[in-house]
Amino acid sequence: MRLILIALVTLLGHYRRHPGQLAMLLLGLWVAGALWSGVQAINASARESYARAEALFTGGLDRLERRDGEALTRADFVALRRAGLPVSPLLEGEVVTVQGERLTVIGIDPLTLPGDSAFATAGGGAPSVFFTPPWRTRLAPESAARLGLEAASATGATPALASGRTLPPLALAPSLPPGTLVMDIAAAARLLGRGDGISRLVVEADALEAAPAGYRLLRAATLADPGELTASFHLNLTALAQLALIVGLFIVQAALGLALEQRLGLLRTLRALGVPGRTLVGVLALELVLLGLAGALAGIASGVWLARALLPDVAATLQSLYGASVGTRLALPWHYWLGGLGVTLGGLAIAGSGTLWRAARLGVLELGQAQAWRAGFQRQLRGQAVAGGLAALLALATGVWLATRPPGEGLIAGFVMIAALLLAGALWLAPLLAAGLAWLGRRARRRPLTQWALADLELQLPRLSLAMMALAIALSANLGVGSMVGGFRLTFLDWLDQRLAADLYLRPPAERVDAVQAWLEGRDAVAELLPTAEAESTLLELAPRGGAPQSLGLPVTLFGITPGEHLTPRWPLLETREGRDAAWAALASGEAFINEQLALGQGLAPGDRLVLQAPGGRERVTVAAVYPDYGAPRGEVLLSTARLRERFAAPPGSIGIVLAEGHAAAPLTRALTARFALDEEALIDQRQVKALATGIFERTFAITRALNALTLAVAALALLASLLAQARERRRRLAPLWALGVPRRTLVGLQLAQLGGAALVTGLLAVPLGIAITACLVAVINVAAFGWRLPLHVFPGEIALTLATAVAVALLAAALPALTLWRTPPRELLAEEETT
Amino acid sequence: MRRFPIGTANGPRLGALLALLALLAGCAEESPPATSQGFAGLGAEANGFAQAAPDTPLRFPEDHGPHPDHRLEWWYLTANLEDAEGEPMGLQWTLFRQAQRPPGEREAPPGPWAADQLWMAHMAVSRGELHRVAERFARGDSREASPERDQAGVTVRPFRAWLDDWTMESRVAAPGHDALDRLTVHALAGTGEDAFGYRLDLVAQGPLVRHGKAGFSQKSADGQGSIYVSQPFYEVAGEVILAGEPHTVSGRAWLDREWSSQLLGPDQSGWDWFSLHLADGHKLMAFRLRGGGEAGGDYLSGTWITPAGDATPLEPDDLRLTPLERRPVAGREMPIRWRLELPRRGLDLIVAAPHAERWMPTTVSYWEGAVRVIDRDDGAPRGVGYLEMTGY
Repeated sequence: MRLILIALVTLLGHYRRHPGQLAMLLLGLWVAGALWSGVQAINASARESYARAEALFTGGLDRLERRDGEALTRADFVALRRAGLPVSPLLEGEVVTVQGERLTVIGIDPLTLPGDSAFATAGGGAPSVFFTPPWRTRLAPESAARLGLEAASATGATPALASGRTLPPLALAPSLPPGTLVMDIAAAARLLGRGDGISRLVVEADALEAAPAGYRLLRAATLADPGELTASFHLNLTALAQLALIVGLFIVQAALGLALEQRLGLLRTLRALGVPGRTLVGVLALELVLLGLAGALAGIASGVWLARALLPDVAATLQSLYGASVGTRLALPWHYWLGGLGVTLGGLAIAGSGTLWRAARLGVLELGQAQAWRAGFQRQLRGQAVAGGLAALLALATGVWLATRPPGEGLIAGFVMIAALLLAGALWLAPLLAAGLAWLGRRARRRPLTQWALADLELQLPRLSLAMMALAIALSANLGVGSMVGGFRLTFLDWLDQRLAADLYLRPPAERVDAVQAWLEGRDAVAELLPTAEAESTLLELAPRGGAPQSLGLPVTLFGITPGEHLTPRWPLLETREGRDAAWAALASGEAFINEQLALGQGLAPGDRLVLQAPGGRERVTVAAVYPDYGAPRGEVLLSTARLRERFAAPPGSIGIVLAEGHAAAPLTRALTARFALDEEALIDQRQVKALATGIFERTFAITRALNALTLAVAALALLASLLAQARERRRRLAPLWALGVPRRTLVGLQLAQLGGAALVTGLLAVPLGIAITACLVAVINVAAFGWRLPLHVFPGEIALTLATAVAVALLAAALPALTLWRTPPRELLAEEETT
Repeated sequence: MRRFPIGTANGPRLGALLALLALLAGCAEESPPATSQGFAGLGAEANGFAQAAPDTPLRFPEDHGPHPDHRLEWWYLTANLEDAEGEPMGLQWTLFRQAQRPPGEREAPPGPWAADQLWMAHMAVSRGELHRVAERFARGDSREASPERDQAGVTVRPFRAWLDDWTMESRVAAPGHDALDRLTVHALAGTGEDAFGYRLDLVAQGPLVRHGKAGFSQKSADGQGSIYVSQPFYEVAGEVILAGEPHTVSGRAWLDREWSSQLLGPDQSGWDWFSLHLADGHKLMAFRLRGGGEAGGDYLSGTWITPAGDATPLEPDDLRLTPLERRPVAGREMPIRWRLELPRRGLDLIVAAPHAERWMPTTVSYWEGAVRVIDRDDGAPRGVGYLEMTGY
């Protein structure tokens, strides 16, 4: 025991002499742990929010809908209750806070809502405050912030909304999902201005064997849950975190290797003094564990901080992409902490295993020299080249397999392919650099200094290669994701421009749509009206052209547009049967367009036929075209507004108003608002829509960008750490050159050129790799995660930036050692040379 | 699902429904200790509500309907039945109304989901050890109810009381008869083997009975009380379903109508209430309100009803009620065997519940069960009835 302690103290003493190495080690562990646990914290919080949202469907409530497609009202509820059916009404809607936040309102009837426990208010007394004026608003504590309130002081507050109405007094209920306000149906009906309409009728799962006459029963099991929809998004985050973890562990591996290298002599001395080899390995392992614990704990702590900073963006993204509410406050289960520690320590064990293995095979009598190790480098390079080849083969094989799958599948395979590509690139980097150096060395026979610099770089390669690999991975991931986001941005903004055909979007209350429309038709300022409608339906059957029909029960959104002269030329279409004009004519005559999500998901193409559930029975439509749709996560069928309203009894939606030449929006807006007493929510300017959509888009990718930048920073750190670690040794090697008369300025220049060159090669390798990753992201990952495919955009600016980043990072990393060299008196250099 | 609002209806998808649990967890926090207002809040202050007072003229059929300006009201039916094998069965059908806001604070006109009135229905069927209970709730406004528009309510012409499909309806068509003389009562809960309920025809063999002073039944020594009318003379025939099995039944039933704004005084904790069909054709209603009597004692009252329907109020010293035996039921010590004495009439009876497990595990919980009446001296059977005990 004493022996172990002495050995441990002796070994750790190394870090007292080289605090930089200790700092580097801990830094690597810290950064890797922080990014990993940060993302895991975000995922854990999101999962907790989903669990709360799912608890709202506790036991899953079944739903009833009218077969005739009419909206449900209180009369349906009363009629069904009077027939003995245990249904309960729900009213759902959205309110906008004065801060502009949208919150979901759910109005319930606690007297009939299914549930096991008895309703505690029946005897009167205070609990009836929930269903008697001024009612109560129940909300999760984290939702209070979105109303501009502290959770501690929220209880009893009656915050005002953008509409001027106030919420019933707040009461906190931690079990509710974030962003959801629950109140009595009477309060909700008044707040949302719904009269006696209800959003749905629910009934305890399986309480009804069959639907009552005139109604359709939707079983709880068929309703989508947010966890499934958002799984791909979380997988994306996790992949990025794993990348960060790997890069961080590269730093650790480099630092550990160096620390061992420098302690070889010490280890031999200890062995010679009688410390058994096994004990020595044990002590080294113990050292790893101690370092790991320190680094991992720091990493987890920072990870939580990081997650706290990123979570609001993530929450906004999930809300806008999938409609899933995620709290903006962290909620971490106990296994999160253990998991973070486990992953960091596990990673450390992998990174340190090589060190331990080498320490275990240490010969007592072997002279401590690095040269022997370096001799093995050629062998290592060959091994790396072979392994890289295997990784490339794996990537190729995955790619071929993916090509045979229907699009929209293979999210995991897509990530495997990207990982294999990255690995292949990283593994090939060192052999490529070595081969390049050898080739250059042969060509530079006449220039001794250059030749020396090349040979010297080759010598440095084993140590630098890991850091360079990390850099290559980070650069290509950065380029890949950057290009994807950039490409999406272009496509999306384009699409937005095309789809926003009208200048103003008006959403009058349903009962006044006709009056508003009639009034608008008579105005000079209005060139064209583009009314829309929307309904929910079920895709019952699909029949490929000439193929056998296939039964299905997929919920789809039906959206109605008016194929007006201002809309049809701009509306983007991906595929048509006989050209754009024919497609629009087909839509006007009753055929349908489908969105890309639906086309990819079900393998549909123009010409195929669909059978949709309609109020009067089944409705058959033919697909005339496929259009891109970046605004919705699920399938959508587009019909003309007229047909949708007639055949699917869809309520009128918003009206797009195209202004006539030379007319401004403001006078019309004022006249409309005054004439129909519309609230400001009802009328949206095209610019506002664009700003809103762009805002949602920017938030969606803010996290991706942030994580990417962090990864790149970690890679730069890895390179810096490697260079710092060998700075002293390098100086020693430069001393003879200086003694031979090479000026220090040239020496510094040489150093910068060496590293800059290596980084440039790394960057050049990262470019094709990055483009391959972009291709994989847009063709596989996006299709699987979001349901749409993007055109592959390559941005020369982005590539140049990647190369510049590589060189800048390398130069930055080299600058510090170079600066020290510049400042070191030559005599000291020689002295260092002598002491070895 | 927030969509990009590209001219779509942007309808909020909320898929979220509410677990009652989540709601109740919160409600419970706000709930004050029940004892401060007596049993089930029945002793709560009645500010702003109409008060039950002596000499209130009663008019029928109007007074069979609801009195929304009073805070509390019920239509309360209990029946002592036998099935074809002679096995005793008990059942209950009750509709409670509780005003949530005094008349002056109600919105006019009320919104579609107004909850000025809370309706609560209880039903129970028992046979031997078996005791099945169900309850339902509904909200309503204070206007005249309609069976098409309202989940619960009571109408006068024709007489109909309902909550969901639990109904009590008059079958009287001929003029000159009281609307309650012939009733059909229906309730059903559970499904399959778990189903229980009944459809009964009730025919009154005597007149309506007004308790207390012409219908005003005093409930404490300081004078407060309720309007209390009964129809205790029903002959019953019909079908009861229990554990999914139908039983043909016949027997007697007793309907209580009572409304008030403050049933219990602040110092009264509950009551023990008897409705007895005596074998000689007399009916007896007796109750003991615990607390609120002279000098802080219990307040006793009752009505002696002849077979012809003549009612005589029982003064506090006409009546003696003594609990004889307590049994643990639902975690409480319930007196399920009583001595009932009417000294001036020479009656000394034992009233006992053959089955103690008649606890109503409803939101407002209490004990309600059939009892047998025997002579204390010779043990001879003297009748059947129902016992209700609250506030334990």
